[in-house]
Amino acid sequence: MTPELVQPLPVATSTTSRRWLHAWDVLVLLTLRDLKAQYKRSFLGFGWALGSPILQLIIFSTIFRNVLGSQIPHYPCFVYIGVLVWGWFQGALGQSTGLITGNSALARQPGFPLSLLPHVTVSVRLFHFIVAWPLLFGMMWYEGLRPNASWWALPILLTLQYFLAVGLAYPLASLNALHRDTQHIVAVLLQLMMFVTPVFYNIHVVPEELRHWFYLNPMTSLLDAWRAVLLEGKWPDPHSLWILSAASLILIVGGRRIFIAQSHRFVEEM
Amino acid sequence: MPWALRDVTFHVGPGEMLGIVGANGAGKSTLLRLLGGIGRPTEGKISTRGRVGALLDLGGGFLGDLTGRENAMLAGVVAGLLRREMNERLDQIVAFAELEDFIDEPVRTYSTGMMMRLAFSVAVHTDPEILLVDEFLSVGDLAFQAKCHAKITAMRESGCAIVMVSHGMDQVRDLCDRALWLKPGEVAAFGSADVVSNLYETEMRQETLRRTPAGPKRKLGNGAELVPRENRFGTFEMEIVSVDHPESIRSGEPLAITLGYNAPKRIDAPVFVVSITREDGTVCLDTNTLLSRTEVPDLTGEGKLRFILDRLDLSAGQYFLDVGVFENEWKHAYDYHWHAHPFTVNGAPNHKGLVAPPSRWEMVR
Repeated sequence: MTPELVQPLPVATSTTSRRWLHAWDVLVLLTLRDLKAQYKRSFLGFGWALGSPILQLIIFSTIFRNVLGSQIPHYPCFVYIGVLVWGWFQGALGQSTGLITGNSALARQPGFPLSLLPHVTVSVRLFHFIVAWPLLFGMMWYEGLRPNASWWALPILLTLQYFLAVGLAYPLASLNALHRDTQHIVAVLLQLMMFVTPVFYNIHVVPEELRHWFYLNPMTSLLDAWRAVLLEGKWPDPHSLWILSAASLILIVGGRRIFIAQSHRFVEEM
Repeated sequence: MPWALRDVTFHVGPGEMLGIVGANGAGKSTLLRLLGGIGRPTEGKISTRGRVGALLDLGGGFLGDLTGRENAMLAGVVAGLLRREMNERLDQIVAFAELEDFIDEPVRTYSTGMMMRLAFSVAVHTDPEILLVDEFLSVGDLAFQAKCHAKITAMRESGCAIVMVSHGMDQVRDLCDRALWLKPGEVAAFGSADVVSNLYETEMRQETLRRTPAGPKRKLGNGAELVPRENRFGTFEMEIVSVDHPESIRSGEPLAITLGYNAPKRIDAPVFVVSITREDGTVCLDTNTLLSRTEVPDLTGEGKLRFILDRLDLSAGQYFLDVGVFENEWKHAYDYHWHAHPFTVNGAPNHKGLVAPPSRWEMVR
């Protein structure tokens, strides 16, 4: 019995455009894989993605409204923006430590572009971020806040935050592959960081002398920018945007270099 | 700290197949991973040209909750193909793996065999230019294995370079052009597949000889006298205690040989060997349970195994039955009887050579 052989379909040789297309395909498939893995057998599915931010919103706006929020107009929207933006950042970085360790089978595949993994994590969290927007915009509309020309800054802010998260994910993933306690340290640090980021309070609550310490935290300026656009309809402060852009660029380029240089050690460690 | 691999130098060109042999722990899998670009050598250089496909961790990346189709797409793209290219191939892949009815079920409902068939099918359809195989795994039934065999041969013919770790010397001789024999921290031999596999087997024989205890003679039920180190070799961790066979047969008749074994301690999946040699040493028949793809389970205690030849078309003469049971990875023999069991073939007066099949002469007008 001779088995039937189908003529092999030719595969195009590797070119730059093919590499980009392939990277995009890997990104899409892995992001879908992670999303499906999280929600395939759960009842509410994506509903859970909305649940946590809404819960935080309710807690903060009811408990803190009278204490911290009395001078802040549209306090629920203020808090919701903080919770969502911070949530994207914290979720992405929290997951990034487990990038290599949680994907050991992929890391062992010859030729797999490992440097794509941080993009997957940040994209998965970005998806959750976007899913919550209808509710946010609904709340804002109800409060009388309307979109205006400054909303053109939103894609810029999105891109900035994306690059910032990816840039930080690279060193975190590398570190954790080599020293497993990194993920715990990072988790605790992120928790603390939430309190020094004006998620549910306004920066003006902080005494003047201490304020520039808070601005060392990139998320503080970023959050200010988001709120400037959405709540005040103003274009964000260009000065801080330039600094953020420079920082993100350095992190991405440098972080990626270090990641790639260290990548051959990852598999040995596993 | 000991080296896992040392001074390993070789080249494999398109369409060539290199076999890597050696005992466990000799560094075979490490070498394969290095070739795949995983990990970097402490000294030296590895250069590859072309896309590398690997049959290393079959099914390792599969997610239980995704369907076979989704997992196959993922595996294919991760291996280097575009989504568009995977879509073109998906039907071929599913057909090859024989999973048409199950492809849209979640993978956690698959048996191990099904998962491995799917993983194998994806890997061989990604058109790699270099293929790394960690043990040509016996996946699926005989028909499927024949398909895999044919597919790998086809890939070679279209220029794929293949590096395969194997424990079967016959497989190495059959499929490979060259072979590399690794020992922990060194290269024992590198050369043509025939030469290296014979060297490996010779060492196995020498190892067996070295480990055969000088012991008492044994007389088996059929009158055969077994003298260790003369016509009986092995470590005797497992013994062949009886060899039942007819004293003589007529040429063309069936032949059944019943081997009685005793394994005081559990022996993992041993390999049984039967060969028929003529008085002058010519090997007329040589087969074993590994070649026949017969699954031998882990054996403990006493038991019997039967080898059946549907017909034996040998010419008349005196022959010997050489029987043996070997360690699972051919490291040494447990018990091997050489020229200890004679039998006679009668009849077939119209043949003088080795074989005597039914034959006739006809005048052609």
